[in-house]
Amino acid sequence: MPSIISAHGLTKRYGRMIAVDNIDLDIPPGRIVGLIGPNGAGKTSALKAILGLATYDGELSVLGKNPSSQRAALMEDVCFIADVAVLPRWIRVHQLIDITEDLHPGFNRERCLEYLAKTKVTTDHKVKQLSKGMVAQLHLALVMAIDAKLLVLDEPTLGLDIIYRKEFYTHLLTDYFDEERTILITTHQVEEVEHILTDLVFIRDGRIALEATMEEVQERYVELMARPDRAAEARQFKPLYERELFGRHIFLYENADREQLKPLGELHTPSVADLFVATMKGGDS
Amino acid sequence: MNKLLALVKREFWENKGSIRTTPLVIGGFYILSMLMGVITLSHFDADGYTTRTVVEELGKMSGDMREEVLYQGGLASSVFFTVVMSFVVFFYLLGALYDDRKDRSILFWKSLPASDTLTIASKLLTAMVLIPLTFLAALILTHIVMAIIASITVATADGNPWTLFIADTSPLKVWGMVAVSWFAHSVWALPMYGWLLLVSSFAPRVPLLFATLPPLIFSVLQGWIEFLQSFTLKGNLGSLIKDWFFNTPAILTAEMGDNGAGPALGVPLSGDFDHAVTLGNMLDRLFSLQMLVGLVVAAVFLAGALWFRRRATES
Repeated sequence: MPSIISAHGLTKRYGRMIAVDNIDLDIPPGRIVGLIGPNGAGKTSALKAILGLATYDGELSVLGKNPSSQRAALMEDVCFIADVAVLPRWIRVHQLIDITEDLHPGFNRERCLEYLAKTKVTTDHKVKQLSKGMVAQLHLALVMAIDAKLLVLDEPTLGLDIIYRKEFYTHLLTDYFDEERTILITTHQVEEVEHILTDLVFIRDGRIALEATMEEVQERYVELMARPDRAAEARQFKPLYERELFGRHIFLYENADREQLKPLGELHTPSVADLFVATMKGGDS
Repeated sequence: MNKLLALVKREFWENKGSIRTTPLVIGGFYILSMLMGVITLSHFDADGYTTRTVVEELGKMSGDMREEVLYQGGLASSVFFTVVMSFVVFFYLLGALYDDRKDRSILFWKSLPASDTLTIASKLLTAMVLIPLTFLAALILTHIVMAIIASITVATADGNPWTLFIADTSPLKVWGMVAVSWFAHSVWALPMYGWLLLVSSFAPRVPLLFATLPPLIFSVLQGWIEFLQSFTLKGNLGSLIKDWFFNTPAILTAEMGDNGAGPALGVPLSGDFDHAVTLGNMLDRLFSLQMLVGLVVAAVFLAGALWFRRRATES
């Protein structure tokens, strides 16, 4: 199947600063990809290039189109939620639905109203009258009613409380995602997306630090909570990263022999957050 | 085309206050002034003597004379609308590509499948066509209400409003002339509209200053250089803009003519164009060399606005 996003040597410079440094990326359809990186790693710059919101160097093709020159056409098949604060504040909900219907060939008004009926948002509300959580629900209802092939979410739940955040991702998974759609998410709150991701991309200093499917991650990485007396032994197997929790040493290994590690303590699959910290910090040494 | 109309509709929603309410308020102001006049008159003149005298005088006038007075009066009553409309368009265009950058809703608008060219076209269309149309609707409504009030007043003095003035008015001619002059003004003002959109698309803050300061500083510098060269240089930017504005095809002032003062196009100070209110004089401006240069300047400004709009989400 053709790629949804395909980048070769994607580079973004702001003057002398290089935000995205020669990235190669290939995202097939039907995936939920987490683009994860520390602040200033180039996540948003990469997303802006993908969405046709910024210029870039290198080759980039999204759904077979050039985002820089074909943004309007591309947006017929791509939806994005930049963060919760970007819906115009003066607009009324029914006007927002009207204009989306007028501009988006794949918008389904009934479906949007169905989603909204489950919330406290009414069509007479102005956006500025809604709480942050309700604005996020409104934006999600709009986006989920659009028959798009790619959905890009840039910190979609920033500033929302835990109830809205959970609900947001549940709706996305149960009502929206299917094998033909692709979702690209960036977020700081790794814990709450890790169970829905199918693919991980770690980005650091504008470069890709890790690109793998979740299955590959499970195969490749293992975490060992070492018995106190065997920590020194565990260190011999060249862990990527070591941390201490309640006096116990926890080691993270890449492509390690599980049979050799087993006697030293308990083995786990590392969480994405731990893997992230290990990848970001491990690279320093 | 449907997308363009949808975008214009969005402009109307966002700027309902200035596009719809403002002209209605001006109309209301005219109507209120007229009512106050009528009431004041009846207060001091309970027998309606004055009204009866006016009715008598009107009756003595010839039909042609009545038609001319009503026609000129109709045109003159559009001036206040024209002036306020220019302010509305000015501030509308200054904010058109600035407001959504400021509140970041540009990220939402750019997530919709509408190109930047289409977006700018919708803003220009709003300024050039939609705003004059709503002002025209308010002007027509105002004229109708004023005619009704005048009819009632005349009827109370036993006059027949139909024979006294309604039969002699040619409202379509007045409204048509005002409409054409406003649309002609839209074309005439294109270099300015282009400049305002350009400023709106790049100004990091306070677009009003970015729009007015550069031409002002430039004119002052030019004036200074002129002074140094002992008035040998002609065509200071300031006077250029002033002349351009004075030559507008919109009805703006009165001019002394052979049969007294009448409405005039723009401000009749320079001899470049004829300022009498005729279609021919409006077309004269639109098919002038100045207009051609103006269109080129407007195109450059608009291309600049598009360039900045494309890059508005860069950082």
